Amino acid sequence: MEETNKQVPVTVLTGFLGAGKTTLLNRILTEQHGKKYAVIVNEFGEQGIDNDLVVDADEEVFEMNNGCICCTVRGDLIRILSGLMKRADKLDAIIVETTGLADPAPVAQTFFVDQDVADRTKLDAIVTVADAVHLSTQLTDHHEAEEQIAFADVVLLNKIDLVDESGLKVVKERIKKINPFAKIINTTKCGVSLNEILNLDAFSLKRVLDVEPDFLTSDHDHEHDDDVTSLSFVSDTPLDMEKFQDWFSKLLQTKGQDILRTKGILDFTGESDRYVFQGVHMLMDASPMGKWPEGKERSSRLVFIGRNLESMNLKEGFENCKSA
Amino acid sequence: MKADTNQFPELDKTKFEQRGTEFKLGIPITNAVTVGNSIAVGFGDGTVRIFTSGKSSEPIKAHKGIVLCMSKDGDNILTGGDDGRFLNISLDGKINEIGNFGTRWVDHVTANNGSLVCSSGNIVYLWSPNHKEPKIFEHNSTIGGIAFDAKGRRLAVSRYGGVTLWKKDYSNKWNSSELNWKGSHNKVIFSPDGKYLVTSMQENQLHFWRLKDKIDSAMSGYGAKIKSFAFVDDSKYLATSGAKEAVCWPFDGDGPVGREPICLPYVGNKLVTFVEPFPNENAILTGLSDGSVFLSEIEKASNTIIIRSFTEFEVSAIAVTKDCSHLLIGDMGGNILWTSIWDEEKK
Repeated sequence: MEETNKQVPVTVLTGFLGAGKTTLLNRILTEQHGKKYAVIVNEFGEQGIDNDLVVDADEEVFEMNNGCICCTVRGDLIRILSGLMKRADKLDAIIVETTGLADPAPVAQTFFVDQDVADRTKLDAIVTVADAVHLSTQLTDHHEAEEQIAFADVVLLNKIDLVDESGLKVVKERIKKINPFAKIINTTKCGVSLNEILNLDAFSLKRVLDVEPDFLTSDHDHEHDDDVTSLSFVSDTPLDMEKFQDWFSKLLQTKGQDILRTKGILDFTGESDRYVFQGVHMLMDASPMGKWPEGKERSSRLVFIGRNLESMNLKEGFENCKSA
Repeated sequence: MKADTNQFPELDKTKFEQRGTEFKLGIPITNAVTVGNSIAVGFGDGTVRIFTSGKSSEPIKAHKGIVLCMSKDGDNILTGGDDGRFLNISLDGKINEIGNFGTRWVDHVTANNGSLVCSSGNIVYLWSPNHKEPKIFEHNSTIGGIAFDAKGRRLAVSRYGGVTLWKKDYSNKWNSSELNWKGSHNKVIFSPDGKYLVTSMQENQLHFWRLKDKIDSAMSGYGAKIKSFAFVDDSKYLATSGAKEAVCWPFDGDGPVGREPICLPYVGNKLVTFVEPFPNENAILTGLSDGSVFLSEIEKASNTIIIRSFTEFEVSAIAVTKDCSHLLIGDMGGNILWTSIWDEEKK
């Protein structure tokens, strides 16, 4: 009985046009992996080999009628995932390809908003394929490319054979500035073991505890106001739970559209447990995650990835949450 | 097929379970439809089985993956699958492929008087009797549900943002009009008297339109998505799932606006996942998320009897034969109960 209740992991595959997403999909579909995968594609037109199931979808983003301005979801995914869960044989994983110009947020939000989807499947990770040669230009020219990096748990930096060492360094720094969490994997022709991109459990709160963001401290170039950047805060002084909830919920309500992803581990006064959360725009998954480890300093860490972060007085807001 | 062993001790079994046959097939049941005195069941492995009193039911291999949807077409059934096929299947297992859409799923099927309809993506395909090529009705989003009215002159198609209502004029030309309401609409049905159109939404609510004056309103307050709803006793009540009670809205007189629904409670406090009207009665069969099924009179909740005890899997199908002699219950764990309804049926 337990087997049927297990949530099937869903990997979201994003990447700007020409980055190599189709190459990666072809690898997943042709490799003899011995697993049962379903791949939800957009106009891919290929058939799976080795047991894979290919499902055609049209990206359909729709708004929920619940007043939350950020609550856009992928209607086609709700339909297809609910259908796949009626299959007699259980899938090992589901892979969702998004089109090159897609914003990953509605895909991620679908897993928070739809109860049936949340009960039977879980968002495993967002994997973004990036073109080492063209990423810098794409990031400057297209919001979508920035968002795809900002939401990524893993960035497959592809075509590294076509850039020199200094070029590679520049593009990696650019990625880190947008998203200090993402694990960057260098590839040519998307040559990566499927273990490195599937079944990562990147959206579980447990994993938030493991992630040590890799921040770059050196560069503070002039940025355009609407560039995606990240900011992080650390405090050794415990936080006041009420003050924090008050500040944070107001912040998400008013600025949730510009805040793409958040993660944090919080130390509240009078609480013996660590509080962990992670969110996509206004939607949040949060829970106490057991006691603080013995002999380790308690501290709160909070990371934001988004646009116009400088204008949100985040530092001041966070400081005000410290217990007096 | 073998009738499998008892899951629970004999003592816990209802009289229907003792009298009927239980099948533990382990394949999720996706649909069940009544065809005369038989019941056709669709499964999550692409097979269909026909249950008829006194006959065994062998699996018919219809689709490659899942039987996504099912409907009655005269003495036959229609099915749509995730293999992109739209099929007409006779009760003796003969399969006739009407359409094939490849990797695009056939999400909904229905029929009226020999007209066969399916939807795949945002397109509705309609085969008129004796026509080889279907008429094509395109919509602005993927289709959530389709339904004919009783006469087959109106076809409702639910979608993102409302319902498109196709109407056949007397020269057999189809014209559309739009009923708009923000949000994504799934299943759609007409009331049997043709006066109302009801949809379930992505949000935990239903929406209805009174067709003569286009007055519309939401029915909300549910804790979960409403996957199953049906009109009972002609068009007197609309019975709905999605709460811990079977919520029955009054649709007689001027309809439900300003009136309270009747809520039928069940022991165990579980979510109602399926409702099926009992033919010709003001009563419903209610299936819960733990697999239990009850029969209730809507206006007299104290007259509730238990039909099936729990299996721990949500009820996904209930159907009653046309002569009201037998009923079938299916759940997502692949358990089926096929039983006679009346004691004297047991020979």
